[in-house]
Amino acid sequence: MKLYESSVKKPITTSLVFIAIIVLGLFSLSRLSIDLMPEIEMNQAYVIVTYPGASAEDVENNVTKVMESALSTVSDLKKLTSTSKENTAIIGCEFEWGIDIDGAVNDMRDKIELVKQMLPDGCSNPMILKISTDMMPISILSATAKESTNALYKILDDGVANPLNRISGVGAVSISGAPQREIIVNCDPTKLEAYNLTVEQIGSIVSQENLNTPGGSIDIGSETYSLRIEGELEESALLNDIVVANYGGKNIFLRDIAYVSDTIQEKAQESYVNGVKGATIVIQKQTGANSVNVMNKIRAELPKIQKNLPKDIHLQEVMNTTDNIENSIASLVETFVLACLFVVIVVLFFLGEWRATIIIMVTIPVALISSFIYLFISGNTLNVISLSAISIALGMVVDDAIVVLENVTTHVERGSKPREAAIYGTNEVAVAVIATTLTLLAVFFPFTMMTGMAGIMFKQLGWMICIIMIVSTASALSLTPMMCSIMLKREKDKKHNKLFLTVYQPISVFLDKLDNAYERLLTWAVRHKTVTIIIAVVMFGASIFGMTRLGSEFIPASDNGQITGSIELPSGANVERSKEIAARLGEKIKKIPEIRTYTYTVGTPSEDDDNSFAMMNTSGSNYISFRIRLYDYKDRKKSMFEVAEELRKEIDTYTEVKKFSVTAGGDGGMTSGSTIDLEIFGHDFETTGRIADSVKVAMEKIPGLKDVIIDREDYKPQFQVDFDREKLALNGLSVGAASSYIRNRINGLTASVFREDGEEYKIKIRYDRAHRQSVEDIENILIYNSAGKAVRVSEVANVVESMEPPSIERQDRERIVKVTAKLYGTTLDVASAKIQEAVDKMDIPTEIGTKIGGSIEDQQDTFSDMTLLLVLILMLVYIVMAAQFESLRYPFIIMFSVPFAFVGLVLSLVITNETINLMSMIGAVMLVGIVVKNGIVLVDYINLNRERGMGISQSVISGGKSRLRPVLMTSATTVLGMVPMALGIGEGSELWQPMGIAIVGGLTVSTLVTLVVIPVMYCVFASREIVKYRNKHSLKLNRRKA
Amino acid sequence: MKAAFIAYNQAHVEEIESILRQLSIRGFTRWQDIQGRGTKTGEPHLGTHAWPAKNMATLCIVDDYIAPILKKRIQALDNDAPEQGLRIFFWEIIDV
Repeated sequence: MKLYESSVKKPITTSLVFIAIIVLGLFSLSRLSIDLMPEIEMNQAYVIVTYPGASAEDVENNVTKVMESALSTVSDLKKLTSTSKENTAIIGCEFEWGIDIDGAVNDMRDKIELVKQMLPDGCSNPMILKISTDMMPISILSATAKESTNALYKILDDGVANPLNRISGVGAVSISGAPQREIIVNCDPTKLEAYNLTVEQIGSIVSQENLNTPGGSIDIGSETYSLRIEGELEESALLNDIVVANYGGKNIFLRDIAYVSDTIQEKAQESYVNGVKGATIVIQKQTGANSVNVMNKIRAELPKIQKNLPKDIHLQEVMNTTDNIENSIASLVETFVLACLFVVIVVLFFLGEWRATIIIMVTIPVALISSFIYLFISGNTLNVISLSAISIALGMVVDDAIVVLENVTTHVERGSKPREAAIYGTNEVAVAVIATTLTLLAVFFPFTMMTGMAGIMFKQLGWMICIIMIVSTASALSLTPMMCSIMLKREKDKKHNKLFLTVYQPISVFLDKLDNAYERLLTWAVRHKTVTIIIAVVMFGASIFGMTRLGSEFIPASDNGQITGSIELPSGANVERSKEIAARLGEKIKKIPEIRTYTYTVGTPSEDDDNSFAMMNTSGSNYISFRIRLYDYKDRKKSMFEVAEELRKEIDTYTEVKKFSVTAGGDGGMTSGSTIDLEIFGHDFETTGRIADSVKVAMEKIPGLKDVIIDREDYKPQFQVDFDREKLALNGLSVGAASSYIRNRINGLTASVFREDGEEYKIKIRYDRAHRQSVEDIENILIYNSAGKAVRVSEVANVVESMEPPSIERQDRERIVKVTAKLYGTTLDVASAKIQEAVDKMDIPTEIGTKIGGSIEDQQDTFSDMTLLLVLILMLVYIVMAAQFESLRYPFIIMFSVPFAFVGLVLSLVITNETINLMSMIGAVMLVGIVVKNGIVLVDYINLNRERGMGISQSVISGGKSRLRPVLMTSATTVLGMVPMALGIGEGSELWQPMGIAIVGGLTVSTLVTLVVIPVMYCVFASREIVKYRNKHSLKLNRRKA
Repeated sequence: MKAAFIAYNQAHVEEIESILRQLSIRGFTRWQDIQGRGTKTGEPHLGTHAWPAKNMATLCIVDDYIAPILKKRIQALDNDAPEQGLRIFFWEIIDV
């Protein structure tokens, strides 16, 4: 028994099977976690090697080059970059998207093992670091305080970080911007000298005085007692009373030569939240934890945490990744609901019957909800991609059911009982339904095989749509006939109420008029084939012309309400100057109504900050980084991009700023807009630097390029102590020993730790600030040799001011300088053409290579992938159709609907001022499958008419007329299902808008043109066929006669 | 006794069965999935792409007094849905 037959005969089984599917789907939905994108395995890994004491160039020659030659043989490597700076080499490997990163890292480890011996002595073991998305913070909180500022770190550590850490799924919680407590012994060098003391001696005395020692145990009688010597200081002030020397019979106390300050770290990164100084708390999640779930738990916990904090400390969310996720998902759900409504209206409009509408509508939840089962089983999340897949499929899932219902209705009207009509009516169209589904699968199945960046985005989409399509076909062949058999009635058995008639009568008249008008148009077109074809060709030609006017970009940037940026002052500028600039920017930011919160950070994180996120970012006393959170998309007037542009203009007026960048969309992620780089390869620093400067000037003149930055760091001013080895040797000193003397006095010597309430604080000994402020102060430092003889630094060394060479950046084993820019209001292809033009005009030596990189590389890769995909899909669709018609000619005729899809696509993109990007290209690829469906329906019916004995023109006209409504109806459901997406409602919709526009435009134009051009083309080919047949036949006759 | 040959669109199968049952006609011979075409009007039932509908045929031997009743019932069914296609033919049974 066939599927539809058994399902009509067993309505209970059929309905229960589908109810089971829905229940399972809903269960899966309740278990699905929410995320922005499908899980992406990052494709980068770093190797870090330290080579203490080596300069950047030494590191480059002895470490970087060795590592590079080993790592360049790792398979699937896309790009090899390296940074060589003083003491350290960092080699970055970027792999192809979608490879197994663990395998790649193992491969790297093997290669490194081979060359390890070739590294110079004194090198550390190479350390491999895998970059993962988990390193990005899921949330950043800020804490502002008034009275508690000095104790902020401890309060936050105990009161916020620890409770947060206990939440499952929360990884590291780190606090920055709150200076930690430190106890500093500020020595006066003159007094030290007078008493013949050194910082080192004081250090060892302090550590000896601040000690708890277990003294073993003693037995007294039958009891055992343990013995402890409690020498640790109970209060930091007690340090003052330590006796450091005995001079002339008198005790010298620490307070005599130094003053002890129980204070907070001198140099630390300072954070400001909405202009108020505070601390930031960076929360990272554990690997594999779901951001939204973790964030919800954190949010639930925060009010309790806030309650336990001192009154003056206020916690505030500065950044979180989950708002954007939730808003994007919510806006997609909204889009989906709207699309559902549109589809219902279309079906009701064409069928004019609620029973039929219900039969068709039931397919939607069945097919869509079943896809959640797939998501759950495959361990995926409910994300933007999977939800978009559902939205895209929405208009298509009803098509099969419509075809089945339409045929069953015909049978019922002819007098069959609904039961029989359902079985035999479905039987007649089953093959056609399966064939149209196969053409769609031919389009969407290749999506699942895509590689690269696009593969990550569209693999899941491909699977989702394939599964939805298969389920919808299965439902159209079982559930729909079953419901038809129960619910349909013959027209003459129906009772219509008055209201229905008044509403539907005009629609019905309109549809009849439409049928007739179409018949007249088709009759005209069939009689004027040449004119029709010329008009069509002109339309296509015009769209090719329109195509040249379209710009291109990679992925449309979407507005997630986050802006980050950085400002760099000339190197050597101190924190005070940076703070002043930051405060000025803060004043400006306050006046922009779209901004909800802003934070900025100035200065270098202290060495013992455990904040890995801060470590990854560039920092320095001349460096300001800021982060802005805007209000929700619907609550503000300006877009994120406009606000970013406003900030750029403001910062541009600050003359002291050396370079700056403003990134709309926040750092990281695929949707933060496009960048374009000019990569300059060449060994000589000066030449490449000069070229980079002139490229920068040229690029700044190109409209639409923002934040033009040369990525090579500047030479930094520094004081260098050059020891004279001979003089050192005469004094019995080594460079190592001598330099540690300088370090202990300037940077400080950590002598011991002070314990209080279970916490440890460092006790640091160093020169008082007043004695470490000039070159003379350094020169006056006394260095003692092992014999206790002292020499001044000035006697054995020269202190000179010099420039520290920048770090050496390399890419693919060559030195590189990048001039990078962000795009605003221009497109990638235009910008890269202009940059290339500017570079071509420059006089660049032959040994220097240039290349345009950045997003354009990804774009080119992906666009060539997409073109290949398009060709593959066209072939597959042709094969499926050829198999269905068992003919090579008819699929060819149907393929004529594809060019007109592109006409509509180009037209709609030009009108809406969109670009050709990954999303609109995906739309174009999908169109292939969607538009040929109309052609299949038309040609199939025209063929049927011819087989029934009609002439060509008559078959075409009557076939066209009878298929007009089904074609319009299925196209309208698909188009209107996409309209909400094309309108771009809500946050994150920018991403999908081009695709929606492409499909709406392409399908509309293609449907209208297909309805005329395909019948005409059919006439042309069929007539030729007949002429050929006649010629052949008459040839035979002639031969016979001869 | 008369032989009644009923050729009909397969969509009529249940109605035909019910008529036979109501007239207590127990014995019959039935062919499924067969092709046919009316002499004057109606669509052919060929099970092809152009004419997807198919016929069924039932042959039953009935008593003479049943034949006109059967004919009436079948014709009523045909008149209700003339597009479906339904014919009944009788001939005499000479021997059993």
